[in-house]
Amino acid sequence: MEVSWLYLIPLLPLFGAAVNGLLGRWLPKAWLYAVALLVVLLSFCIGLFAWSEVARLPAEAGQLRQIVYTWFSVGSLRVDLGLTFDRLSGTLVLVVTGVGFLIHLYSVGYMDEDPGYWRYFAYLNLFVSMMLLLVLSDNLVAMFVGWEGVGLCSYLLIGFWYDDDAKAYAGRKAFIVNRIGDFGFLIGIFVLYLYTGQVSFQALKVAPLSLGVASAAAGLLFVGATGKSAQLPLYVWLPDAMAGPTPVSALIHAATMVTAGVYMVARLSFLYVQAPGVMAVVAVIGVLTALIGAVIGTSQTDIKRVLAYSTVSQLGYMFVGVGVGAFAAGTAHLITHAFFKACLFLGSGAVIHGLKGEQDMARMGGLRRLGLKHTAATFFIATVAITGILPISGFFSKDEILAQALNTRAFDFLTAWDPASTSVPLLRPLLEALSRTRLTFFGPAVYLVGTVTALITSFYMWRCYLLTFEGEYRGPPEVHPHEAPWVMTLPLWVLAALSVVGALIVLPSRQLPFTWEHFTEGVFARPRGGAPLERLPELVAFGIALVVAWAGFAAAWSLYAPGRGLQGDERIARATPRLRRALASALYVDALYDRILVKPLWATARGLWRAADAMIIDGLLVNGSAQLVAAVGSALRRFQNGDVQRYAAVTAVGVLILVYVFLVRG
Amino acid sequence: MRGLLQIGPEHYLVLAALLFALGAIGVVLRRNALIVLMSIELMLNAVNLTFLTFSRFPLVKSAPTQAGFLSGHTAVFFVIAVAAAEAAVGLAIVIAVFRSRSSVNVDEFDTLKF
Repeated sequence: MEVSWLYLIPLLPLFGAAVNGLLGRWLPKAWLYAVALLVVLLSFCIGLFAWSEVARLPAEAGQLRQIVYTWFSVGSLRVDLGLTFDRLSGTLVLVVTGVGFLIHLYSVGYMDEDPGYWRYFAYLNLFVSMMLLLVLSDNLVAMFVGWEGVGLCSYLLIGFWYDDDAKAYAGRKAFIVNRIGDFGFLIGIFVLYLYTGQVSFQALKVAPLSLGVASAAAGLLFVGATGKSAQLPLYVWLPDAMAGPTPVSALIHAATMVTAGVYMVARLSFLYVQAPGVMAVVAVIGVLTALIGAVIGTSQTDIKRVLAYSTVSQLGYMFVGVGVGAFAAGTAHLITHAFFKACLFLGSGAVIHGLKGEQDMARMGGLRRLGLKHTAATFFIATVAITGILPISGFFSKDEILAQALNTRAFDFLTAWDPASTSVPLLRPLLEALSRTRLTFFGPAVYLVGTVTALITSFYMWRCYLLTFEGEYRGPPEVHPHEAPWVMTLPLWVLAALSVVGALIVLPSRQLPFTWEHFTEGVFARPRGGAPLERLPELVAFGIALVVAWAGFAAAWSLYAPGRGLQGDERIARATPRLRRALASALYVDALYDRILVKPLWATARGLWRAADAMIIDGLLVNGSAQLVAAVGSALRRFQNGDVQRYAAVTAVGVLILVYVFLVRG
Repeated sequence: MRGLLQIGPEHYLVLAALLFALGAIGVVLRRNALIVLMSIELMLNAVNLTFLTFSRFPLVKSAPTQAGFLSGHTAVFFVIAVAAAEAAVGLAIVIAVFRSRSSVNVDEFDTLKF
C-alpha cells in the first residue's frame, strides 16, 4: 500500500538532530530535552500507527511503501529514496524508536551534568534517524546511507569525550574497522548491480542469480555485517566502543546499530538462501564469535567490557540463526536481545553513575543492599533473560536458534547441488567435492558449540551480577553508592518488563497468532534444503537448555556466592594463570592485529610519507618547481638590468638580425 | 665610364648608413644623456638623408611624378618637426633627472627594471 507520510519516521529525528545540533548550545536545557525526546516519541507513535496498519493486512502483502523522491538516475541505474514498512522493518522501527526513546529519557538523567549534553542529544537523534533509514530503506544504496550514517554517529559518540586520547582512539578504531567491513558491503552492492542492474530489494528478489554471483554478493555483504555487527574477525572495535557514554553503549552498541548486520542478512534472506555456502560461513563465524566472546567475557573485570563481549557473543547467536536459515529465530533474538541487553547496559550505567564513574567490578559488590534496589532488580531480571535459567524471552529466543541449528537442512542444499549447473568453471570442482561430503554435520556441530557457549554465557553473566550486586561492598569508603533518579530507573523497569513479556513473541508454539515466527510468515525466504528435521524432540531441547543454564549458574554461584568476594577470580587465576591472563587481555587479538596489520600499515604510511610525500611531492614537485622558476628567473634577470643602453643595443642587434633574415636572405 | 664627380644615389645612401651607424653607436655607447640625445638626432638625420635620396632618385624611373617627388620632402619635414619636439621633451627629462639624481650619466639610470 502506498502512503505519503512514511518519510516522517526518519525525518523527525533528523529534524531534532538539526535543531539540537545547530541551536542546542543556546536553547534552554528543558526545551532541548523536550525536542530530543518528542521527535523520537512522535516517530514511535507514527511507527505504531503504521505497524497496526501492517498487522491488519495479510503477511505477504502487509507493507506500506513510499517513494520519497528519486535520489539519482544514471543510465540504467535509478535509485529512489524509497521506504518500505513491512512486518520485519516495522517491528524494528518500533524497537529502534521505543528503546531509543527510553534511552533518550535515561540520558536526560545520565548526561545532565555534562557540558556537551546538547551535542550528545544531537548525535543521538541523528543516530535514530539514520538507523530508521537503514531499516526502512527499500534498496541497498539507501540502506548503505543509513549504514554509514549510524557508523558515523557511533564514531562521534564513542569519541564523545574527545579530549581523552584513549576515547578518541577508540572512536577512530571503531570507524576504521567498520570501514573495512563497509568496503565489502559496497563491493557487494556493485556485484549485485553488475549482474542484475538492480539495487532495490523488490527487484533483486525476482532477479535470477547464478550460484557464483549470489555467493560473491552474499559473502561480500556479510563482510560488511562482520564489521557493523562485530563478528570475527572484525569484532575488536566493539569492546573498545565502551569508551562512549553508557546509554550510547546500550542504544548503539547493544540494542540497535550492531544488529544492523543481522537485519541486513534477514532482509536479504532471498539472496542468502541462494548461496548456501555463504550461509554455512555465516553460521560458523557466528557460533565461533559467540564462543570467543563468551570465553573472553568470563575474565573481564570492567562491567561494561563484560557486557560488550556478551553483546559480541549474542550477536554471534543471531548470525547462527540467520546462517542456518532460521531468519525468524535470528531476528526474534535480535528483538529480545535489544530489550534485555539495553536493560543490562542501562543498569551498568546506573551503577557507574551511582559509584561516581567506577567501572571495575572488583570495587563493587553488595550494591543491591546499598540502595540500588531498582537497578539490582532490573539487572537481575535481564540477567535471567539472557542466561535463560527461567523461561523468559532470552531463553526461548536463544533456544529457538540452537534448536533450528540442530535441525536445519540449509546445508543439505549444498550437498545436493548439481555441480554441472554452475556457470563459473572454478566452482565446479569445489562443488563436486562438496557433493561427495556430508555437510549435514554442520548443524549439530553448531548446536553443540552454541550450547557450550550458553553454559559459559550463564556463568559469566551470573558472575557479573553476583560480583556487582551481591556480597560485601569492596569499593573505597568515601564513595557512597546511590540510586539513580527516576528518569533513569523508569526506562530500566520498562525494559525489564519487556524482557519478560518479550517471551510472548518467541513462544515455541507455531499456532499462537502473536509469535514472531507466525507474524513474519512469508517475509523471509525459505532455505532450499527443505523443511527442518526433528532431530531432537522440542521438550528435550528445552530441557538441555535449562540444564545448561542452571549449570552455568551453579558454576558461578560456587565461585562467586555472596560473601566470597573476589576469591572466585583468584582461584581461577591460580588454577590456570596463563589462560586467565590471555583471556583478560582478550586473547591478545588486539596485540596480534597491532603487530600484523596496524604496525605494518603505520610503517608503510610513514615510508610513503617520507618517500612519496616529503621527497617526491614536497621536494621534487612543490619545492622543485619553485626552484626551477627561481633559477630561470635569476638567469633572465641579467637581461633586465634597467640599463637603457643595453636595451638599445639588444634591440639594435635584434633589428640587424631581422634585417638580415628578411632582406638579405629572403 | 663614370668620372669621380659622378655622384649617384649610392653615395648618399652609404653616407646615410654611416651616419645612422655612428648615431646608433653613440646611443649605445656614450654615457652622457646629452650626447645620447645628439646621437639620436644624428640617426634621424641619416633617415632624412635617405628620404631625400629616394626623392631625388626615385626607384620607379618610368613615371616620376610631382607627388612622388614631394612625398619624400614631406616626410623629412615631419621628421624634423618630431625631432624638435623630441629634443624638447628629451632635454626636459634630462633636466628633471639631473635635478633628482645630480647626474646625466645614462648608465646610472637603471630604475627601468622595476
